[in-house]
Amino acid sequence: MLDYLGLESDLATEERMIRDTAREFVDQQVKPDIADHFVEGTFPTDLVGEMGELGFYAPNLSGHDLPDVGERAYGLLMQELEAGDSGVRSMASVQGALVMYPIHAYGSDEQKDRWLPTLASGEEVGCFGLTEPEHGSDPSSMETRAERDGDEYVLQGSKTWITNSPIADVALVWARDTSAEDSPVRGFLVETDRDGVSTDKIDEKLSMRASITGSIGLSNVRVPEDNVLPGVTGMKGPLSCLTQARYGIAWGAVGAARDCFEVAREYASDREQFGSPIARFQLQQEKLAEMATQITLGQLLAYRLAELKERDELTPQQVSMAKRNNVEMAREVSRTAREMLGGNGITTDYSPMRHLANIETVYTYEGTHDIHGLILGHDLTGIPAFE
Amino acid sequence: MKILVTVKEVAEAADDFELPDGALDIDERYLEYDLNEWDEYGVEEGVQIAEENEDTEVVSVTIGPERSEETIRMALAKGVDRAIRIWDDALEDVAFLDVEARARILAAVVAEEDPDLVLTGVQANDDGFGATGIALADRIDFEWAAVVNHLDLDVEGGLAHVHRELEGGVEELTDVELPAVLSIQTGINEPRYASLRGIRQAQSKEIVPYELADLDLDADVTDSPLSLTSMYEPETESSATVFEGSPEEEADQLGELLGEMGVVEG
Repeated sequence: MLDYLGLESDLATEERMIRDTAREFVDQQVKPDIADHFVEGTFPTDLVGEMGELGFYAPNLSGHDLPDVGERAYGLLMQELEAGDSGVRSMASVQGALVMYPIHAYGSDEQKDRWLPTLASGEEVGCFGLTEPEHGSDPSSMETRAERDGDEYVLQGSKTWITNSPIADVALVWARDTSAEDSPVRGFLVETDRDGVSTDKIDEKLSMRASITGSIGLSNVRVPEDNVLPGVTGMKGPLSCLTQARYGIAWGAVGAARDCFEVAREYASDREQFGSPIARFQLQQEKLAEMATQITLGQLLAYRLAELKERDELTPQQVSMAKRNNVEMAREVSRTAREMLGGNGITTDYSPMRHLANIETVYTYEGTHDIHGLILGHDLTGIPAFE
Repeated sequence: MKILVTVKEVAEAADDFELPDGALDIDERYLEYDLNEWDEYGVEEGVQIAEENEDTEVVSVTIGPERSEETIRMALAKGVDRAIRIWDDALEDVAFLDVEARARILAAVVAEEDPDLVLTGVQANDDGFGATGIALADRIDFEWAAVVNHLDLDVEGGLAHVHRELEGGVEELTDVELPAVLSIQTGINEPRYASLRGIRQAQSKEIVPYELADLDLDADVTDSPLSLTSMYEPETESSATVFEGSPEEEADQLGELLGEMGVVEG
């Protein structure tokens, strides 16, 4: 895969081995039938346990028998998974960064012991409930409520656009605790088999089709107070999770773009028109040059982010910059690659249009492109545009 | 029990490479290195035996330069306990090691490690001699079985019940007494991926470097009656006939062709 500045030759042995293992896994277990899943609108559920066995969920966390790999190795893993399909990377991101991370960071010892081992192995699946039908970019206006009743909470509300909710065993639901002063946002671990929980699937997607998306309906759902994450109060809870996941997206988008680039480069070298491979034509060469340059710049952003994250100096705004840039880059690269493939490019025989369709979701979820622009604008000017 | 698995890092040439006239090897820039495919199955078989039998140690041995450590470490990540890597200036200087040289070097390792079972790949996908395992068995006077595609080990009885793949789809079922050398065929198992935890653990597993002198061997171990005289790409000629039409029409065309070629009378 394209590595124009040779960044991967500076990787440590452990990182290279993780990259190679992930790449082999994607080549053998994801690529052969991911297009069929995309067409059918199904997720390759066999991968849930297989990825768990390999330690792909939250491998950058420590303790609880988790692999505790470095942030760059974690990024490389996300990159390789998304070279397969954004849906596969999303599975790993949600399970690891949005469910295991908050339990690891804010959970009680009992919660960690209960959930981390089975989520890590993929025996159980988690989902993350923040977005609501009426509250997307402005999640702090959420309407989902939790009211204390003795040593229980009663949850009421609905969440939507929830990756994996229909197959989840547990939902981390963010809701306002109306029994506490100022109704702070708290995290609730809601087992999906509790009375009053519904998880309907959203079927009409034209993007990220090889990924399961649904809603979470909460109708007088009772959970014990032990199911509240004790370690965090307020929007910091969900937002800190999103920073973790967005870090993985910044890396993943480079993977999707690299896959598109390689497909386009190979196609241009093989496809003959006017008596020679189309790669000979200047218009095609310029496209490849531009794609390679943009991918390399995105790669540099991701690598720098890894260094800052490893040092614990990474700011959410820096993650916003990388998520915003790299996903847009992947959007442009996948579109250009599709274009170079001509009519063949609109079929599922080639990956670019599948990536292109997926990227529309990635562009929008975990903070839309525009919202990340406003986060950067706020950071650069000191003036918030959205308050 | 101790299992010794021989492994080899092999070079794979890119699809498009150039081989100048007179060159005896493909230039480094066209090569990528990976673990020999057959050895992957040998490693997996060794690791599975260790998982099923307590107190079993799996040791990998390779003859190769420092570069090969990363490939060997992947075997450690998949469950091999430790590794031995043999390299020496004398090995650096020779174009290739013949079967005899490999068998002598590996025999010295067997003398040192005293394994109950030695697993080798059937062949290496670079030079493809397909003889190292059996030559080694002969030298160390172990029982042996070649091209093993099913292994059922009776540890207490010291017996390996094996299926051997013979030509023409014939299988031989046989028992081999330990200590033994088995050359492992692809498909005997499903090699695992290295888990992230395994990769982490592998970083602190031991790869002991040996030189020839450490094994009481001299540089003359590399002396060989074989020498590489030339390397070239064979001319390939392929003629494919594509039948077109309905299944019936295609069958007729195929029948006609087979008749013309004298395969069937008709």
